[in-house]
Formats: sequence, structure tokens, C-alpha cells
Amino acid sequence: MLKIDNLTARVGEGEEAKTIIKGLSLDVPAGEVHAIMGPNGAGKSTLSYILTGRDGYEVTDGGASLNGEDLLDMEPEERAAKGVFLSFQYPVEIPGVPVMTFVRAAMNAQRKARGEEEISAPDFIKKAREVGAKLKIDAEMLKRPVNVGFSGGEKKRLEIFQMMMLEPHLAILDETDSGLDIDALKTVADGVNALRSPDRAMLVITHYQRLLDHIQPDKVHVLAKGRIIKSGGPELAERLEKEGYDGILGEVA
Amino acid sequence: MTLEELKGRFSDPTPAELQLIADYAALPEDARRARAFEAFAETGLPHRRLEAWKWTDFRQALPTIEPGARSPSTPVTPPEDASVFRFDGQAWHVPETLPEGLRVIEAHEGQAYGNAEALPLGALAAALSGKAQKTNALQIEVTGPVETPVFLDYGAAGRETAFSRISFVVREDAGLDVIESHSGGAGFSASVIEFSLGKSARVSRTLAQTATRDEATGITANVHLDERASYTQTALAMGAKVARIETRLTYGGEEAQATMNAAYLASDGYHVDFTSHVRHDAQSCVTRQLTKGAVSDGGRGVFQGKFMVPRVSGQYTDADMQHQALLLEDGAEIFAKPELEIYADDVECAHGNTSGQLDESALFYMRQRGLPYEEARALLTEAFIAEALETSHASVREAFKDLSRQFLRKQGQD
Repeated sequence: MLKIDNLTARVGEGEEAKTIIKGLSLDVPAGEVHAIMGPNGAGKSTLSYILTGRDGYEVTDGGASLNGEDLLDMEPEERAAKGVFLSFQYPVEIPGVPVMTFVRAAMNAQRKARGEEEISAPDFIKKAREVGAKLKIDAEMLKRPVNVGFSGGEKKRLEIFQMMMLEPHLAILDETDSGLDIDALKTVADGVNALRSPDRAMLVITHYQRLLDHIQPDKVHVLAKGRIIKSGGPELAERLEKEGYDGILGEVA
Repeated sequence: MTLEELKGRFSDPTPAELQLIADYAALPEDARRARAFEAFAETGLPHRRLEAWKWTDFRQALPTIEPGARSPSTPVTPPEDASVFRFDGQAWHVPETLPEGLRVIEAHEGQAYGNAEALPLGALAAALSGKAQKTNALQIEVTGPVETPVFLDYGAAGRETAFSRISFVVREDAGLDVIESHSGGAGFSASVIEFSLGKSARVSRTLAQTATRDEATGITANVHLDERASYTQTALAMGAKVARIETRLTYGGEEAQATMNAAYLASDGYHVDFTSHVRHDAQSCVTRQLTKGAVSDGGRGVFQGKFMVPRVSGQYTDADMQHQALLLEDGAEIFAKPELEIYADDVECAHGNTSGQLDESALFYMRQRGLPYEEARALLTEAFIAEALETSHASVREAFKDLSRQFLRKQGQD
């Protein structure tokens, strides 16, 4: 599914340029959920932006592919149509564009890019209702402009709503737990778990263990200074929680 | 006055101006139209050396008057219940039956044109619109609340010029919805519309303008409001080689109110100018003005707004003017001049003026969800201008959305 090989990338231009990802390699096979943990500034969000094609990052070495196709050559919307989804750490407000209009336009744009039929309005509304009910999102919220006036928790729930509507092959969740209270965390985790499937891979980026109590990862990777410095099973996350990053970092150094 | 004498009124007339002079000379004499033409002669085709026209130069854009290319499609179509008045470039075509409360006034001489000195294109249209030969001037009396809209369909495919004037006298407590479709077609068109609202009268005016990038278009409105009258104006303009949509509004009675909203979308080779002048000549009047625009590479948007609040008559004025514009690409140009001239001391007047670019992070977010760049940009821009079009007549709102979509999609293909 996702294969990242010796990825090296920098942000900024000219003398300001700074290498943030330094030879990062990672495989996430289909059907698995991997967690990436790491201290602030380790490059976690940068990795998610490079994989989804945000401007401002330059890949200087290595690469990333999805099912054998080079991801880094594609426009962001092409990656989305291939099934790459990023749940943003800070979801963006889109004034004047209602959630339903936006998600339907996105879904149909992806389908069009894949040469599929557009979803009909009744089918779309039915699906939106079902997914909304699972995430405790009411119809009123779906009529509001995307993320405008939403609380932190509502924004994160709306990200998961979009993920469940779009049914991506590779879901990257960037600090989806931040801004969520315990109940919302449970709701979001239930949504994510419902999407676990043999043909879908997930990359869960987080600071803390607590999200991983609800979403059991198959593997945990520690990202520090632009590289994966340690990989292991779920027990690695628990160890990090107890010992902190310093312990692991010291051990590797 | 002879043709030679008329020419002498202009300083160094251009070929286009000479043609306008000849057009005028061919009309029967009329003292009121003559005054309007003399006012036009003061400036000739307005140009950049006039402060009010420094960004919109008709003289330069229109050296000679050529026949218009084929007319673009009508921007909006009339709702089923509308009374359609069609102006074909030469004459008004009045519908056979008119709804209750609406009456065409039969008059055989021209009407005086107010503020002619300040409105050269309006003065020109008034000077060249008479009743004697062709009915390109109409006067309409509105005597009660008219339930169905009046639709003014301006289109003059292939003509050199199109000049027209239409005046609405709206009596006390009467009300009217007017929808205007300006589809251009002539090399040079100038139209004047006048609204005189009596006590507690109400007018809602919705306007859509399209043209090719070879045309010059002037649309001038003169509005006068009596006590507690209410006037709403909503315009969507796509511009032309040069297009100016100008509104001059005067409060003549207390507690009247006006809402003036506009949106412009200018692509490569198009110029749109929204200019307005609101004079608070009566106490306790309320003005709300919102203009939004989006311009792409090679397009030009102009906003000039002025509120004039005299010392005594303008007391207790409440007025707000906002202009917000988006520069969609490098090479887009926006010029704005919001002006408040306030002499009264107990007023609430505000203005705001911003221009910027589309939010990059919003664009990336939308593309991450699968929307192509052009599509994402179109959705954001459409949403941006939508607020200014909320007051438009309900029957054209969908057409307005389609117009903005077409504009933005077309951008993507250029």
C-alpha cells in the first residue's frame, strides 16, 4: 500500500531552506494501522503534507508510492482521487460553502477523475445521514459552511465524517485527538475503527497514547529529527507514555 | 444649432465624438435634450484627465465607433410573470398589456435630465433619447404596488450604438421590482434609468450585465427618494472593453433607506467600473452598500463610492460602505476609492475597503478532498461574492450563480 523510501525533504527557499525529513523509510501494508509518534518539531505534520502534496516542500531525495504509483508526482487532487485522505490537524474554514455542497462536489470530482458515475443527490443524502448519525453530526451542522464557527471537536468530527464519506485507501490522521474531549474521542475512534478493512491502510499521527487506547495500531513508529528512529508493536506506545521521548531518544543515540 | 456650431463645443473631437455629434444633429430639436447634450459636450467622452474617470477612460477605449460583434447570450431570462420591455438598440418595445399599477406616460417632449454635468454618459444617453421618431425614451408611472416584476431586456446585436432612457415615477406607497438584463451587442451603448420614489414607495432593482471585450457600455441610474421610501439595488457585472455602472442617489425626504449591492467579475480584457454617489440631503436616512469583486489576469475592477452628508440636512445619517475584492491571479488590477464627505456632526458613517488573494490553505484543503484547483477556486470565489447578491430578485438568483460559475470555469480553461 504506502511505501516511503529514504524520503528527504526541506521546507522554505534559498538560505531559509531547512531539511526537515531526513531519509525516512516506512511501509504501511494494506489492512494495517500504523501510528507515528514523536516530539514537537519531529516532522510529523510535514510528512503528512508531503504525502498529500501541499506547496512549500521540496523533496530532495527518496520517494513515496501508493500501490506502486509514485505519489509525489501527482497534484493534490490526483492523490485524493487515488484514495489519499488527510484528516487535518487544523481543519480549514471555507466561508460560504455548505458542508453538503462541499463533500458532494469533492466526492463527484474524485469519481469523475476515476472515470466513475457521479453519486445521485438522494444516494448522497442517504449516505450523509447514515454517516452523520454514527458521528453524532446532525443535519443542521451539515448545512453550515465548512468548519465556520465549529468548535475544535466539531471540526475533528467533520474530518472523520468526510473520511467516512470518501472512503479512502490511505487515511492519514494528523493529531485527530487534539481538541477532543473523552466522549468525542470515543466517537471519532469508533468511526475510524469502522473503516478498518483489508484494503485500507491508516497512518495515525499523534502525540499521546490516549488515541491509541481506542484505535489499536498494528505498529508504532517513533519519528524524531526527521527519521523513524524506532519501530515496534503497541507496547512501544505504552513505553513512550511512561518514559517519555527522552528515554527512547537517549537509547537510540 | 448647426453641425459646425455643435462641433465647436467640443475641444478637438475624436472620430467617435464626431459621430455622436452627427447622431445628435440628426434628431429634431428639443430644448431639454439640447441641455443634456451641452452638458456632455463639456467633457466629451469621459477620459482619465477627469478625476471621476481617472481609471475608466471611454475616450481612449472608443476612438471610433464600430458595429458590435455578435451579442453574447442574455445573462438572465425573464421570469414567467414578468412584463418584458425590450430595447433593441433603437426603440423600446412595450408589452401589450401591463399589470395593474403600471402606466406608460404619453409625453411629446423630452424630460430634463438632472445632474447632467456630473454624469457625461447619462447626459449623452438622455440627449440621444427622444420620443419624436423612435421611442428610445420611456416614462412609466407606478401608481400602486405592482405584484409582478418589470423586466428590461437590453440587447442590440451588431449595432454601432444603442442609447436609451427609461424613467419610473413611483407614487406614494407604490412599489415595483425591476430586473434588467444588459447583454450588450452594440459597439457603444449608454442607457439611463431614473427612479423617482414618492413617500413610502419601494423599488427593488436587479441588474445583470455582460458584453464582449470589444464593446463600451455605460449604465447610469438616477434615483431620488422621498420620505420613508426604500430602494434596493443589486447588480452583477462582467464588464466589457470598458463598462461603467454608475448610480447617483439623493435622499429628498427623511427616514428613507437604500441598499446598494454589487458584484463584479472581470477576466482578461474586461474592465468593470462601479461608481456611486449618495447624497444624504434629508435627515435620518440609512444607506447600506456592499460591493464585492473578483478579477483575474488581464482584468480590471474599479470601485468608486461616495457618501455626501451635508451639515444640516444630513443629520442622523446612518451609512455604511464596504468594498471587498479578490485578485485571483498576478496581473489582475483593482482600483478603489471609497469616500465619505461628512459635514453633519451626529451621524454614523463607516467604510471599509480590502483586497486580497484566495486563501491558499483553503485551496489546499479543498484539493486534498479531490476538487481540482479551478473547481476549488470557483467555489471559493462564488461563495465570496454571494453575499452581495443575496438581495437580488429571487427569480434570477440561480442565473446569477450560473453566471459566476461560467466566468470562473472559463478562467480555468484559458
